[in-house]
Amino acid sequence: MASITPTLRPLACSKSILRRIRQQNTAVRSMMTTTYHRTGFVPPPPIPGAPHVLRKLKAIAPLPSAANKIKDPVKAFQDDQISVLDPTGARTHLFSRKNPESAKQGDILLVRLKNGDPFAGVCINIRRQGIDTGILLRNQLTRVGVEMWYKIYSPNVEGIEVVQRAGKRARRERLTYMRKPKHDRGSVQNIVLQYQRTRGPASGSTAVKVQEGLKGGRRKSKKGRK
Amino acid sequence: MLNCIDNSGAAIVECVKVLKMERHAKIGDRIIVVVQKQRSFGPESGPGASAQTSAANKVRRGDMRHAVVVRTAKKLQRRDGSVVKFDDNACVLINKTGEPIGTRLNSVVGIELRKQKWSKILSLAPMHL
Repeated sequence: MASITPTLRPLACSKSILRRIRQQNTAVRSMMTTTYHRTGFVPPPPIPGAPHVLRKLKAIAPLPSAANKIKDPVKAFQDDQISVLDPTGARTHLFSRKNPESAKQGDILLVRLKNGDPFAGVCINIRRQGIDTGILLRNQLTRVGVEMWYKIYSPNVEGIEVVQRAGKRARRERLTYMRKPKHDRGSVQNIVLQYQRTRGPASGSTAVKVQEGLKGGRRKSKKGRK
Repeated sequence: MLNCIDNSGAAIVECVKVLKMERHAKIGDRIIVVVQKQRSFGPESGPGASAQTSAANKVRRGDMRHAVVVRTAKKLQRRDGSVVKFDDNACVLINKTGEPIGTRLNSVVGIELRKQKWSKILSLAPMHL
């Protein structure tokens, strides 16, 4: 009995109970003659007044985990998606770093879409994010600079062609300096038309279609509205 | 401050209000603008031809009109994941009912106009992307 319980607090006050327990534990510890071994569990001395309850905890087996089945889930998902959206692997090969004939920054690329007009432009950025890999193409339409990001694995993208390779390897990865008028390539339409003419009448018709599409687009959209 | 790309006579307009929304206007949104700069028509805008130019101009400096945004320098994402960004901001002046004041458009517009039902403007445009 180290100290008398103060009577200023109510009897059921947890603070005073805890204080009492602490004092008893220190008293018991100072009277100890044996040392506890780490391996054996020895229950703490019983607190006078506290009910004696010994609960047996039920051991639950660990839940089945998928972590061991798939070591790198993100990569597995990306590969799975790429195998669906690019089964031949041609698109991946076109932008692969290991491919010496790949499409790089500085090249002029032509993107053909399922829904929409084909867009050509200088590739100024390639953002590699697995399935979300995108290319930034810059062109000038009616003297207004336009930049478009295209996801290369998008099902809307029918095909990507390299119209013209960069003469010299660009000295940096991101060619955003091309937005400045000093370095701006301007319109790549002439280069694209030349390319399509040299390709032959098969793709030459696409060029004609594009030209006519610009004029006929007005009529088409008006009809479509009704 | 946006470029006005139709032949209504305005060259640069200032947006003073975006209608029906509390966010920045995107392509296809309606805004209220004030004409800041008139479009000069070359040799016609000499000292002796002011009457002619004012007849050709449908709007004058300081006029308040409605307009539709057709190009934004802010990136705009499309449903297929592609993102479009123009080099400038541009608009087309319209009257209260939604009909364009000008009769011709100068440059490229965004095809978001189709979704917002601005078919007349889209059909006037020489090119759309």
